[in-house]
Amino acid sequence: MSAPIVLARGLTKAFDGGREPVWALRGVDLEVGAGEFLALVGPSGSGKTTLLNLVGALDTPTGGELTVLGQHIASLSKMARAHLRLHSIGFVFQAYNLVPVLTARENVEFVLELQGMGAGRRDRARGVLAELGLGDLADRRTNELSGGQQQRVAVARAVASRPTLVLADEPTANLDGENAETLMHLMRDLRDRHGMTFIFSTHDPRVVAHAVRIVTLVDGRVSKDEPQVPTS
Amino acid sequence: MAWVSGQYAIRSVGRNIRRTILSIVGIAVGCVLALFMESMNRGRGELFARAGSSSGVGHVRIVPAGWRERRDSRLRLADWEADLAAARAVPGVAFATARARAQALLAVGTHVVPVELTGVQPEIEPHMFRYVQTVRQGRYLRAGEAGSIVLGRALVDRLTADLDDDIVATTVGPGGDIQSALFRLVGIVETGNDDSDSAVCQVAIEDVQRLTQFPGAGEVSLVLGDYRRIDAVRAQLASRVARGDDVMTLSESAPDIEGHLNQDSAVTRIVSWIILLIVLLGVASAQLAAVLERRREFAVLAALGMSGPRLVGLVVQEALMLGAGGAVVGIAAGVPIIWRFAHSGIDLSSYVGGSYSFQGVLFDPIIYGDFGWWIPGYVTAVSLVATIVASLYPAWYASRTDPAVALRVAQ
Repeated sequence: MSAPIVLARGLTKAFDGGREPVWALRGVDLEVGAGEFLALVGPSGSGKTTLLNLVGALDTPTGGELTVLGQHIASLSKMARAHLRLHSIGFVFQAYNLVPVLTARENVEFVLELQGMGAGRRDRARGVLAELGLGDLADRRTNELSGGQQQRVAVARAVASRPTLVLADEPTANLDGENAETLMHLMRDLRDRHGMTFIFSTHDPRVVAHAVRIVTLVDGRVSKDEPQVPTS
Repeated sequence: MAWVSGQYAIRSVGRNIRRTILSIVGIAVGCVLALFMESMNRGRGELFARAGSSSGVGHVRIVPAGWRERRDSRLRLADWEADLAAARAVPGVAFATARARAQALLAVGTHVVPVELTGVQPEIEPHMFRYVQTVRQGRYLRAGEAGSIVLGRALVDRLTADLDDDIVATTVGPGGDIQSALFRLVGIVETGNDDSDSAVCQVAIEDVQRLTQFPGAGEVSLVLGDYRRIDAVRAQLASRVARGDDVMTLSESAPDIEGHLNQDSAVTRIVSWIILLIVLLGVASAQLAAVLERRREFAVLAALGMSGPRLVGLVVQEALMLGAGGAVVGIAAGVPIIWRFAHSGIDLSSYVGGSYSFQGVLFDPIIYGDFGWWIPGYVTAVSLVATIVASLYPAWYASRTDPAVALRVAQ
């Protein structure tokens, strides 16, 4: 059996809340294997985004153990965490967070450039955009695209370098039902074809329906962790 | 293949076009002010050379052994005629003349004035000593003429003398004996400056030789076609002058004047630095505002894996674009200004009077800047270095962006 992509044991995270620390995670145990399509669900403030930030090496845990792709997040330097994110983890944000002065293609190509990819990165960027149905819009500035198209560009940016792990924080929150469905289909399709592991947080039951595993967080703890047969 | 990061930097600079234009104009104004100061400083070197050389010191001077230390006017060159011939043979020497000086007392009736009596070659001297070009009464000395004297207006007034008056000059001879001679006042020089007029007391070189009983000349002064060749001419002359004689440059002959001008230059440079510091703070402020506006964007870039040093590089790259823009505008605005400064000068006579002098050297109240090929390089270097320095703090601030915090705040 291959090593898990994500392994959390007794994971805690506290934020400075003035007099008392605010505990966002109170001892999360979680193991995510390669190729999973996992939904993190739970009410607001349950710790979904905090957990994604920790798994994405954007932040460091307060306590417990967290290993992502074989690396102990707590022991990594800031530079090493940046390196891990750049080469192994893709991010999709709720608000797309594309660079507004760049075109769709340039947004995707920028990450490939950061990775040090030389010749071929432009073709790769165009190819990924085409895969996500944006071939004709590659040279448009992102503010000329609809919300659904922008989020697909964000997914293209996240997966262009074929990362092992893709994290998506409420990726459909700003999309209508049709665009949300399209996006989930595309993400699942990418997972199926490239074997990437997807972890996404969501409130949307239509999105949850696509997941093959659902982890429910309540008050910073895993309250439920169950597999699911996707409905579509 | 074009780098996306370069495109990103260029387009980011264009995001807030009003702020970008203001930043570029600010940088350009700072560069032009710094350029003006630098041009003035460089022009000051020429001013020193022009004022010093035309005040009788010369660009280069051949002096007797020991003069450098003692500055004794009784010292004489080992072979002044050979030195003069050697000086005139050096390429680039416009004029060369011999002089003999003596400390003397001039007397008219009961009025006595101590002076430095200068024996000159009248046919050459007006080319090398511009004060005597302003003979307001009478005439200048003539070649081969003996017993004539030309004085500055200040000395004439102190002696209460008048044109054609007889003036007694008294000095001390080689054995300590008192020597006197009678001179007729043939010309009165008015430079417009009392200090300078007090320095004009000229007779023929042969008259000084006779009066003092010291034969020969005490110096050979040279004026060059191009003052920037001073060191080259000095090097050439050093091996050609009579044994024992010494060759000095203008800076060595008049160190106090040069020191005075260097002090002025230092003050100007400090003012330049203050101007640049103000510009630098302005640019840093604009850059910091741009970074703060894009905090979320930097957080996303950091989340995607852009390292701190690369974020620093990105902000510095944007600053360099502003700097390049500032340099272009600075050169475009600065070149005509400095060209005019170099060709027409700035007349300071309303501040310093018709002329001003230091250590007996008369300075032109019109100052000129230096204009040359150094200007584009100077403006570009100042602009780029200033903007890089100004961007360091905003860049460091951007690199410190914590993606988790910034994205959480922005959600």
